[in-house]
Amino acid sequence: MSNGIDGDVILRVDDLKKYFTPHQGFLQSFGKVRKVVRAVDGVSFEIRRGEIFGLIGESGSGKTTTGKLVMKLIDPTSGRILFNGRDVTSIGQAETKEYRRQVQMIFQDPYASMNPRFKIRDVLEEPLEIHRISGNRAERDTRVVRALTEVKLTPPEDFMGRFPHMLSGGQRQRVATARTLILNPAMLVADEPVSMIDLSTRAEILHMMKDVQRDLGLTYLYITHDLSTARYFTDRIAVMYLGRIVEMGRADDIIDHPAHPYTRALIEAVPEPVTGKVDEVKELPISGEIPSPSNIPPGCRFHTRCPFAKEECRAEAEPELMDLGGGHYHACRRWKEIG
Amino acid sequence: MKLDDAAFRLKEFWDEFRKERNGLVGLGILAAAILAVFLEPLIIPYPEASSRWRDITYWQDNSKSAPPAWTNLFTARKSAVARTLQDARIQDRGPGEKVYTYTYDYDYNRAPYDLLVRGEGSGNIPLTVTVRRPDGVSVEIVRYVLQDLAGQTFRLSFSNEGRSNALEFLRKTERPENAAQIATMSYGVAEILFSKAEPDFVKGPKPLTGRYEIEVTAGFTDPRASIEHMEIVVVGRVSGILGTDSMKRDIFSGVVAGMKWALMIGLLTSIVSVLVGVFYGITAAYFGGRVDSVMMLIFDYFISLPVLPILIVFSAVYKPSIWTIIAALILFFWVGPVKTVRSMALQIKEETYIEAAKALGAGHGRIIFRHMAPLLIPYSFASMALAVPGAIVYESSVSLLGLGDATIVSWGQILHDALGSGAVLSGLWWWVVPPGLLIAVMGMTFAFLGFAMDKILHPKLKTR
Amino acid sequence: MSETILQVKNLKLYYHTSKGSVKALDDVSFDLAAGETLGLVGESGCGKTTMGTGLLRMPTPPGRFEGGQILVEGRDIIPLPEREIRKDVRWEKVSMVFQGAMNCLTPVYTIGKQMMETLQEHRGMEKAEAQELIKEYLGYVGLPADVTARYPHELSGGMKQRVVIATALFLKPRVVILDEPTTALDVIVQAQIINLLKKLKKTFDLSFIFITHDLALEAEVSDRICVMYAGKIAELGSNEQIYGEKGPAHPYTERLLAATPRLRRKVESLSFIPGTPPDLITPPMGCRFHPRCPKAYDRCRVEEPPVREIEPGHMAACWRCFE
Ligand SMILES: Nc1ncnc2c1ncn2[C@@H]1O[C@H](COP(=O)(O)OP(=O)(O)OP(=O)(O)O)[C@@H](O)[C@H]1O
Ligand SMILES: Nc1ncnc2c1ncn2[C@@H]1O[C@H](COP(=O)(O)OP(=O)(O)OP(=O)(O)O)[C@@H](O)[C@H]1O
Ligand code: SF4
Ligand code: SF4
Ligand SMILES: [Mg+2]
Ligand SMILES: [Mg+2]
Repeated sequence: MSNGIDGDVILRVDDLKKYFTPHQGFLQSFGKVRKVVRAVDGVSFEIRRGEIFGLIGESGSGKTTTGKLVMKLIDPTSGRILFNGRDVTSIGQAETKEYRRQVQMIFQDPYASMNPRFKIRDVLEEPLEIHRISGNRAERDTRVVRALTEVKLTPPEDFMGRFPHMLSGGQRQRVATARTLILNPAMLVADEPVSMIDLSTRAEILHMMKDVQRDLGLTYLYITHDLSTARYFTDRIAVMYLGRIVEMGRADDIIDHPAHPYTRALIEAVPEPVTGKVDEVKELPISGEIPSPSNIPPGCRFHTRCPFAKEECRAEAEPELMDLGGGHYHACRRWKEIG
Repeated sequence: MKLDDAAFRLKEFWDEFRKERNGLVGLGILAAAILAVFLEPLIIPYPEASSRWRDITYWQDNSKSAPPAWTNLFTARKSAVARTLQDARIQDRGPGEKVYTYTYDYDYNRAPYDLLVRGEGSGNIPLTVTVRRPDGVSVEIVRYVLQDLAGQTFRLSFSNEGRSNALEFLRKTERPENAAQIATMSYGVAEILFSKAEPDFVKGPKPLTGRYEIEVTAGFTDPRASIEHMEIVVVGRVSGILGTDSMKRDIFSGVVAGMKWALMIGLLTSIVSVLVGVFYGITAAYFGGRVDSVMMLIFDYFISLPVLPILIVFSAVYKPSIWTIIAALILFFWVGPVKTVRSMALQIKEETYIEAAKALGAGHGRIIFRHMAPLLIPYSFASMALAVPGAIVYESSVSLLGLGDATIVSWGQILHDALGSGAVLSGLWWWVVPPGLLIAVMGMTFAFLGFAMDKILHPKLKTR
Repeated sequence: MSETILQVKNLKLYYHTSKGSVKALDDVSFDLAAGETLGLVGESGCGKTTMGTGLLRMPTPPGRFEGGQILVEGRDIIPLPEREIRKDVRWEKVSMVFQGAMNCLTPVYTIGKQMMETLQEHRGMEKAEAQELIKEYLGYVGLPADVTARYPHELSGGMKQRVVIATALFLKPRVVILDEPTTALDVIVQAQIINLLKKLKKTFDLSFIFITHDLALEAEVSDRICVMYAGKIAELGSNEQIYGEKGPAHPYTERLLAATPRLRRKVESLSFIPGTPPDLITPPMGCRFHPRCPKAYDRCRVEEPPVREIEPGHMAACWRCFE
């Protein structure tokens, strides 16, 4: 896949698929056959070194599953993941451990992602212990202090002795970030890192994350359902619908000139803090809710909700991503007609 | 979990635990039991009770099937209590002769079965035992020469060695018309010595209370002759705190010595089997899939084994030692916590922080031991406590059938002997009740502890 | 101006915990007109939910009213006996869609059975009649009648939220309190629910109290907006007064608005409010916002600003606004 923007590729995902087969007991297998959940259904993208790449979509569109696939927390049904040009899809245990030193993850729920019995110091030392880095206590402490300073939890000594429940959500997410930074990773997967944080401090966390990214030259895969923060935070965006990318390009291009009807609908639905809209009922271009990933519609998977859908959309094969130029891709076959 | 953290948690736990009355009762009893184990040599009158339980020579000088001493409190006719008289007044009398004087205050209605002179001697020693009664009369009861001893224990029973002397003494006061009866009467040496010397003794002796002095005169003309640890054993009609059994064994010593075995069997079995069970459960849950299926299959197999029948057959065939019995119990007990642990672990496994640890590169061992196991500690403690009674009861059951380890004394064995000797039929309740009650109390103690812990620690698991 | 149905005067509601009294609502006053939507915004923990449950006169323990009045159609409901409240006020006049209620539907009962329970408890209605009513209300919220036979896990988040809304409307209340009704939903579903609420408001002539922490969302639904900070009202004004060209009056609202990301305008950097909201057991002296306020000056640290009208219909509690 070529594109208009330069930079070397750190992560490439190639036609990645993850199908979940619901667990069946011995007896159940005699009954009705349950359908396969196609959570991720052929996703391809590239992330360049030093870039913030956003993955956006409604609940159930497969964002987290994609993130976990990249983290190798689950194995793909098919497809490949290339990290620095190397296929990491089926590497051994030792290599996976090394891969995980370079690719780290920040989880959505800052309340759940840390062992409640660990003090902040233990939380931050855990990666060092796992990877057998810095043998002695003093050296470890130095690294912990440095990481806490990096995420602006100062004075660091104040926080090291506390338990996670003694911190606010924002502070916890900072600790979670510090935990990933302590291993000097090359890339971070951040799964909705601010969705559970108060609005007033959300910007602060994103700000901090961006600073860290610039200072350390990191690459982010930022997963969110919130277009507004994505516009501010990311360089490029991929919009997912039912396990597939339907539009991808520079953040500004996508939001100012969306090509796919689904992206348009998403943008349309986002509220804006301006006056004078109380009495109007918002025109929503699409209706209904996202279908189940165990029952993906044939043809263009969006056709059941698309206001522009025609018979061809249902009957013909699913459209592939098409290049609009300037690194802007979309997957709507009627793009020309709908303008 | 660092040390100060653990201390804090412990304090928190204790603050909660203090509010559980049953738990406190359990803890109190457990503390007493542990204390008893440590003080065993001090509190039991027969320090070797544990190792020589089945050695009849160790018990031979005791009374047989004697009720506990305190039963005297509930009857008008007091029975002589079993005891030993040790502190002798020693006087030298002439060349090579010593007199050992023991005082004995007799204040009972029923005389002891017998008295013994016991000691360790060397060489040839002529011994004379004279009883000086409160009514001023002295009776020379035993005259005997110890021969060629080399430090062995000698035992001179009054009733064996002194019968003729005692009868002679009796004849002096008894009416001539009763003389024929003397030979056939059931009263023994002790009755004659501790009763009033008056006519019609044979119709019913009357106790002579007061201070008796028992003088043992020993001759030391043989240059090798010496005597050590000489004492007078009063073979009482009532004995000790819990009486004796038909094999003359002191039951109190037996049950106290059995305490440590009960605790050992209970704790060892429960700790090892819970540890095994907990890690089995976690491992099955953590790895899931095929590993889980196979492990659960094995588990199902074990849980459906009938414990007692197998244990009995096994014991009957192998005559196992206590360690083998514990090992066998563990084989059945480890399944106890598996189901619950597995389902708890399945939940914990889904926690985001487990996934986060994986994402950091943590291996299986780290996740199981550092992240999952600590959460199960509370449950493990509770189930350990709850497994103890079962283990104690099973060991007792095996022992009850006479299949226990013959080198130790356990409560189950005491019960087995009691039932085997028809203790219940002959009214020897002091032989049956104490071990039975202790089994029940120990079980209850740990059940109380377990329930209290369960109550306190379980809700903590749900809140994170 | 239309009729006032709800008036809150100097309301105080404290949670008496072992660590001290959490002053979750401290001297709060506002009123609500018929057919109006009042927005309640503020950071997490500022007392929004407390206000909601307080208005139903069912503060969560250990919460207790410590003063003030709640006038529903002119009658103070605080001193009323519980029986009266149940018969006449709660669910009958004022109802509420609780925060996260859609996730609290009992998984073992069908939707129909759960809705039926609410009806029978309050109205002792015949089964057939109740079923008719349930169908009717499901229609209002845009759900097919057959969802009554389904279990909660078979419904999507949006559908469950519709069920909860329908249940809140059953007894024809005049005021509905909506506590974060769309927070867990996707943008498109959120927009659908908002549209639905607007429609229902017209159909039933309802007043809403719309609780959220999202200022952008509030702009689209509320006629008037009440900004709360640390258990107190910081600013209360019309939609125009808060979101208009001129901008809000209170520094807190201003900062909150600046921290709200906007989709349709590229911003280089978002601003945020440093620090965290204060502990409500021992709130700061003077203006509660002063430790985080960029405009704070000496007076703010010692003297608490009262809530004052700074222009018709626009209240604020800030010394700077009074100048
Ligand atoms: N382990 C699993 N087994 C079965 N189905 C799963 C599993 N994990 C995810 N799914 C399903 O896959 C689909 C995609 O889930 P995913 O969590 O990736 O969505 P998401 O885009 O992150 O949504 P959200 O915004 O709610 O986090 C969902 O329908 C989900 O129910
Ligand atoms: N039951 C309770 N006991 C003690 N304190 C409580 C209780 N409920 C709420 N609080 C405290 O009262 C304050 C206000 O809480 P409230 O739930 O009203 O906030 P909120 O604005 O609804 O927050 P959120 O946006 O998180 O829902 C908080 O500081 C909270 O910690
Ligand atoms: S291909 Fe057809 S159905 Fe799909 S988005 Fe385009 S117009 Fe809509
Ligand atoms: S009163 Fe002072 S501290 Fe409070 S908001 Fe106004 S300027 Fe800021
Ligand atoms: Mg997700
Ligand atoms: Mg709330």
